[in-house]
Amino acid sequence: MRLLAIGVDHRSAPASVREALAFDQGKLGPALEFFSRALEDQEVAILSTCNRVELYLASPGESDPLTSTASDLLAQFHGIDPCVFANHLVTYHDQGVVGHLFRVASSIESLVLGEGQILGQVRDAYQASTERKTAGVILHTLFQSALRVGKLVRERTGMDQGRLSVASVALDVARGVFDSFTDKTVLVLGAGKMGELTLERLRTMSPGRILVVNRDPNRAIEAAARWNGQAMPFDQLDAALTAADVVVSTTAATEPIVTYNRYVRVQKARRNRLALILDIAVPRDFDPAIGDLDQVMLYHVDDLRSQAESNLLERRKGIEPALAIIDREAAACYNRLVHQRDAGLLLQELGLHADRIRERELAALFAAQPDLSPTAREAISRMAIRLQNQFLHHPRAAVRSAVEEPHHDHPTGHPHPVLTFVRHIFGLGDRGSNSLKRL
Amino acid sequence: MAGVIDRLSILCFAGTYALALVAELSRFVMRSTARWYTAFGLTVLGWVVQTLFLANYAFKRASAAPVSTAFESMMLLSWIVALIGLYWMIRSPRALAVGLFVLPLVLGLVVIAGWFAPRESDWTQWGGTIAFWGTVHGVFLLLGAVFTSVAFFVGLMYLVQARRLKAKKPSRTEIGLPSLEQSERIHRAAITIAFPLLTFGLLIGIVLSFLGTADIEATPVHVIRLTDPKVLSALLMWLVFASLLHARFRPAMRGRNMMVLTIVAFGFMVFAWVGVEALRLRTAHGKVVNTEGTTRP
Repeated sequence: MRLLAIGVDHRSAPASVREALAFDQGKLGPALEFFSRALEDQEVAILSTCNRVELYLASPGESDPLTSTASDLLAQFHGIDPCVFANHLVTYHDQGVVGHLFRVASSIESLVLGEGQILGQVRDAYQASTERKTAGVILHTLFQSALRVGKLVRERTGMDQGRLSVASVALDVARGVFDSFTDKTVLVLGAGKMGELTLERLRTMSPGRILVVNRDPNRAIEAAARWNGQAMPFDQLDAALTAADVVVSTTAATEPIVTYNRYVRVQKARRNRLALILDIAVPRDFDPAIGDLDQVMLYHVDDLRSQAESNLLERRKGIEPALAIIDREAAACYNRLVHQRDAGLLLQELGLHADRIRERELAALFAAQPDLSPTAREAISRMAIRLQNQFLHHPRAAVRSAVEEPHHDHPTGHPHPVLTFVRHIFGLGDRGSNSLKRL
Repeated sequence: MAGVIDRLSILCFAGTYALALVAELSRFVMRSTARWYTAFGLTVLGWVVQTLFLANYAFKRASAAPVSTAFESMMLLSWIVALIGLYWMIRSPRALAVGLFVLPLVLGLVVIAGWFAPRESDWTQWGGTIAFWGTVHGVFLLLGAVFTSVAFFVGLMYLVQARRLKAKKPSRTEIGLPSLEQSERIHRAAITIAFPLLTFGLLIGIVLSFLGTADIEATPVHVIRLTDPKVLSALLMWLVFASLLHARFRPAMRGRNMMVLTIVAFGFMVFAWVGVEALRLRTAHGKVVNTEGTTRP
C-alpha cells in the first residue's frame, strides 16, 4: 500500500497558481473520473479550497503513485504547462500523507489558524470521491480518520474558540449583551471602513432598524440607502442615541463627540435600558467614562483588537497539544492501514492454503475410491468446502475485527499480533516468506 | 436511628449532585464533550435518587403535602430547582454553564435541609382548618421560593456575565452564559411571580397564628409575637422583595442593583426558613404556645 498527496497551498504557491489548479464544483466530478481512469487501480480524492489544491492518491499494491505522473495529469486536466506550478508543488508520501491530512483537517495548516470551514471542505472532498466511487478502503479509512481527528483536536484544544477579527469579536460581544436583535435599533455614527465591516456582521443578526447619522447629510442618506436604514440629521444625535440599542461609531472627529454628561442624559431618556456602544473611531467618539455606567457596555476598537489578538494567542497555545494528538493518531491510522493491507493478504493466503489442502485431500480420496459416483463425489466436495468455511469462519472474523480496532501500542511496521498468531497456527510462515510455495 | 438512615440517604443524592458539580467545574481545566454528558447524567441520577427519597418520606409521613416542615419544604425546593436546572441544561447550548450555577444551589439547599432544617412541626397534629391552611401557607411559600431561587441563580449569571463584558477580556475557559438581556428577562418574570406568592404565603401564616390559638387554647393571644426572630426575618425578606418589585419600575435600579438585591432577598428567605433554627434562636413558629408565652412540650 502506498500513499501520495501532491498539490499547492497558500504557503507554497501564489493565488494565481492556486486559481489555475483549482477544481470548482463543476470540475470536481469530471476531474475525479479523469484521474481515476488515468491511474487505473489507484484510489483518488481531491481537496480544493481557496488556500489549497491537493490530490490524494492511494495504491493498494506496492507500486508507488508517481509524483511526475500526477503532476502531468494535473497539467493535462487543466490544460496548462506543468512549469507553471512545478516549483510550487508540495508532496507527501505514505505516513506523511496521513499526518498532513490530519493537520489540514485540524486547521493547523490553514491561513487562519483554527478556522472551522476546512473540516467541512475535507468532508466535501471525501463525499465527492465516495459518490464517484474513486475512494476505496484506504481513502475511506484515511478521510474518516481525518474528520474524526479534526473534531477531536478542536474539542481538546479549543482551537476554534474565540474570534480573530475586530468585526467578529464585536458580534460576539453583541451576542453577550442581547438575546435577540430583531427588536433592536442599530445606530451607525460616521462612515468609516471598519464601521462598515462591523455593521455588515451585525446585519447578519437581522436588527429591527438601522439609523445612520453623519455630519454630511448626503453621506448619511447614501449609507442609509445602502443598508436599508434611515438617515437622521446630526443635530438629532441625542434622539438617535436614545432610540439605539447598539451604536457603531466611526467618525473622524478629533475629540469625543459624546461626553459623559451628555450620555448620562441620553441613558436617562432611554430608561436605563441595556446599551452596547462599539466605538471604532480613532481617536474615540465616546468618553471612556461612559463605560462605567451600569447598563452600558462601551467597547473601543482597541478593546476589540486586543480580544482578537488574545484569541489568536490562545489558539496558538493549542498548536502543540494539537500536534501531539495528530502525531499519535496519524501513527495509529497508518498502522491500521498497514494492518488492513496485511489482513487482506493473510485472508487471501489462508483461503488459498485451505483450498490446496482440501483439493489435495479430495484428490487422494477420489484416487483411493475410484468407484464413487459423480453425485457422491460432488456431495463430498461440497461437504469439504462447507467444512473448510466453517473452520475458517472464526479465524477470518478475528483477523477482520483485530485490524479494525485501534492499536496505539504497536509500533509502525510491526505486524499485528493477531495476524502473526493466525499465521503461526495455520502454518503460513512469516509475512513475505511465501509459504504457499511449500505446499 | 431513622434520622441517621435519612441522612445517609440524603448523603447519597447530595454526593451525586456534588460529583455532577465536580464534572461541571472541570470546565476550568479541561475540554471534553464527555463532560456535559457526565454532569447531566450525574444530575439526573441524583434527581432520581432524591425523587425516590421524597416518595418514600411522603409515604412514611402520610401527610397531605410534603410542606409541613421546613425540612420537607426545602428538600422539595431543591428537587424542583434541580428539575428546572435539568430542563435548562437540555434546552440550552451545551457550552452554557447552567450546572455551574444551579448545582451549588441545589447542593446547598439539600445540605441545609438535611442538617439544619427542623423536621417536626406541631401544627400538623392539629388537623381540620389549620392543617388545610397550613398546607396552603407552605405551598405558597414553596412556590415563591422556587421562583426566588430561579431569580437568584439567574441574577448570579447576570453579574458574572456583566463583569466579564465590563472587563473586556475574552473568556479563558469554556463557560457559556446567557446574554444580559435574557438573564434580565427571566429574572424579571421570576421576581414578578415570586412576590405575590410569598406575600400570600406570609399573610396566611399570620392569619394561621390567630386561628391556631383560638382552636387550642380558646384564648385569642398571639402564638407568634412580632418580635419573634422568625417573624422579623420573614418581614425583612418581604420588605426586600417589595423594594425589589419597586426597583423593577425604577430605571435607575435596573441591572446590577436589581441582581444584588435579589441575592440579598434570597439570603433573607433562607434565613427566615432555617436560619433561626440553625442559630438556635427561640421561636414559636409552628409550635403550640401557652398564655405565658412558653412553648408547650
